[in-house]
Amino acid sequence: MTTDVLPEVGRPARARAKRFARPALLAAGLIVAVWLPNGIYTGLAVDLLCWALFAVSVDLLLGYAGLLSFGHAAYWGSSAYATGLLAVHLGLPFPLAVLGGALTAALIAIPVGFLAVKRVGIYFAMVTLAFAQMIYFIANEWRSVTGGENGMQSVPRTLGSADLSDNYYFYYAALPIVLGGLWLAWRIVHSPFGRVLVAIRDNPARARALGYPVHRYKLAAFVLSAFVAGLGGGLFALAHQFVSLDTLHWTTSGKAVIMVVLGGIGTLWGALFGSSFVVVLEDSLSQADFASPGLLTGGIFVLAVLLFRRGLWGSVAAFFRRR
Amino acid sequence: MKRFATALGAVALLVTACGGGPQSGGDSKLTGGKIVLGVLNDQSAGYSALSGKNSVEAVKMAIEDFKAKYGDKAVTSDIEVVDADHQNKPDVANTKAAEFYDRDGVDAILDVPTSSAALKVADVAKAKKKLYFNITAATTDLTGKSCNKYTFHYAYDTYMLANGTGKNATENGAKNWYIVYPNYAFGQDMERSFKAAVEKAGGHVVGEDAAPFPSDNFSTYLLKAPTLNPKPDVIGTMQAGSDLVNLVKQYNEFKLRDKGVGLSVGLMFLTDIHSLTPAALAGTTYTDAWYWNFDAKNREWADKFKARTGSRPTFAHAANYSAATQYLEAVQAAGTDDADKVVAQLEGKKVDDFFLRNGEIRKADHRVLHDAYLAQVKQPDEVKEDWDYVKILKTIPAAEAFRAPSPDCQL
Repeated sequence: MTTDVLPEVGRPARARAKRFARPALLAAGLIVAVWLPNGIYTGLAVDLLCWALFAVSVDLLLGYAGLLSFGHAAYWGSSAYATGLLAVHLGLPFPLAVLGGALTAALIAIPVGFLAVKRVGIYFAMVTLAFAQMIYFIANEWRSVTGGENGMQSVPRTLGSADLSDNYYFYYAALPIVLGGLWLAWRIVHSPFGRVLVAIRDNPARARALGYPVHRYKLAAFVLSAFVAGLGGGLFALAHQFVSLDTLHWTTSGKAVIMVVLGGIGTLWGALFGSSFVVVLEDSLSQADFASPGLLTGGIFVLAVLLFRRGLWGSVAAFFRRR
Repeated sequence: MKRFATALGAVALLVTACGGGPQSGGDSKLTGGKIVLGVLNDQSAGYSALSGKNSVEAVKMAIEDFKAKYGDKAVTSDIEVVDADHQNKPDVANTKAAEFYDRDGVDAILDVPTSSAALKVADVAKAKKKLYFNITAATTDLTGKSCNKYTFHYAYDTYMLANGTGKNATENGAKNWYIVYPNYAFGQDMERSFKAAVEKAGGHVVGEDAAPFPSDNFSTYLLKAPTLNPKPDVIGTMQAGSDLVNLVKQYNEFKLRDKGVGLSVGLMFLTDIHSLTPAALAGTTYTDAWYWNFDAKNREWADKFKARTGSRPTFAHAANYSAATQYLEAVQAAGTDDADKVVAQLEGKKVDDFFLRNGEIRKADHRVLHDAYLAQVKQPDEVKEDWDYVKILKTIPAAEAFRAPSPDCQL
């Protein structure tokens, strides 16, 4: 799960090291995930989970299909709203509400993706951005349903008779969904389907020549990615028991892209690191005596792009690989 | 360079791992043996000047004055302030508010601009059963369908602004109105209240337009204004922040005042006038919740504020001071920071401090009532002193300034 994007020549020693490294990393990750709410503020821990899913969903598309979506907030946000509506009006238990939200996001992604994947590069980014902006304004105007600018308040989170009002317990209740989403992403990447995506990313003409329906593959990746983003967005709505218009704003899409680039494109792990880094940084900056947090996050981003093109995780992985 | 990257990764991990603080505890009459006030507001973006860090200063002043007043008799001498920047984002406000209450042992949160963020913080206050004094968010929902036992709404709201300006300006002779408002919750609220107030006072709204939000070009509306029939006496703009700045600049470029079309603003802070300069706004009327140079009492506090911060206070700064003071007084009277007992002290209380003139903390919906003011920006040659940009045309009595308790509010 670490570095398989970069073309590698298999060497026995490295293969052996890799065999050990992967379970060790996975175990360490799981331990951190289980321990997390005991170490940091629980509300922040839940945020980390949600953003991790979002960043991974963007990485899925950007890193493995080579599609830079600049409108992924549309799926994160529409799932947040759908989850909120399901929880408020139907009182669904929270995992079902999240699932409903994620399916809604995937459903919205079908027509958008259908049109967007016909374009590549900057045009793809612009098409996704345009649709995201449309959804943003629909949510803004549709006040009777979404609450417009004021957002949707008091979203309940229920699961049978369990009391989830404390974020500490909600974290553990949400963790399986997040791990499920991450597993899904991992599974996609390591499936034959994922291999074809990488092939399409690297050489679409050749993939087409080999008989792969390129657009259909891209569309499938887009919808799956929206589904994963939707899982995160739905959980985010429940974590805050509130849905705001911000979840659909283009800056939210940008934030997810920044997370992936900071962490390392096409590594999945990098998305986890990048999202944790950005969320924790923003949190600590809000209480630091620093007048312009945007300047610092922006500065770090510029530095990362200039100095570590592979991102945090990508650079670390490359460092170890080189030794 | 690669090593540096590794180090950066390690730092990221470390930052992630740190940050757990001690939970507050203790069994004295004060939780944690102290009082903690939390100021949560915008300290980096559009609303940082009108409130921001200087509101934290104002709260510190309130604490110092409280200590000086009670000396040894004070319920505690251990009173702290924590503050955070919520960047006007409701999700950040949510996390920070919960963190304030849970981790920092905050007894009362103050300020919180941006309605969506304020509504969220009110929700958190309700869930955690801790106090929240809203100051810079304008939505009447806080004392309407989203009201709760632990939330108090200080200073101003959309009804008070629209009613104050709409009613009084109409009575002062502006009969025909053209209303321009930003097309989002705040703007729509303002437009509704404003129109109702104007029509109730015998005025007439000849036209109204929703402008996209945010926007930097209002020429369509401004050029249209003098051509309307009947010609409006005044443009009522509900724009705020940078939208307001752009609109006023264009209003001056088109020389609408010379064409007999006045300007009336829904929401304006002293800092807005300061950055736009009084010349750009001369003659504009608006409703102010408080003005620093209104009388000697206000001025005295404004002088202290200026000595600390270098600028004159907006009404938000004064309201933060007042809310902190009233909270501390209530704790002093109750002898505990138990939220329910403090709320009982505050409810229905009649107050008269330099901010709350003829003040009352209304029991029915926790709206804090006080006198408001119809203000007019001075002509540049009338400005004799820095920051003294406004003359008060009229005091709007507390009973008239705010709406009646809403039936939607069930505390």
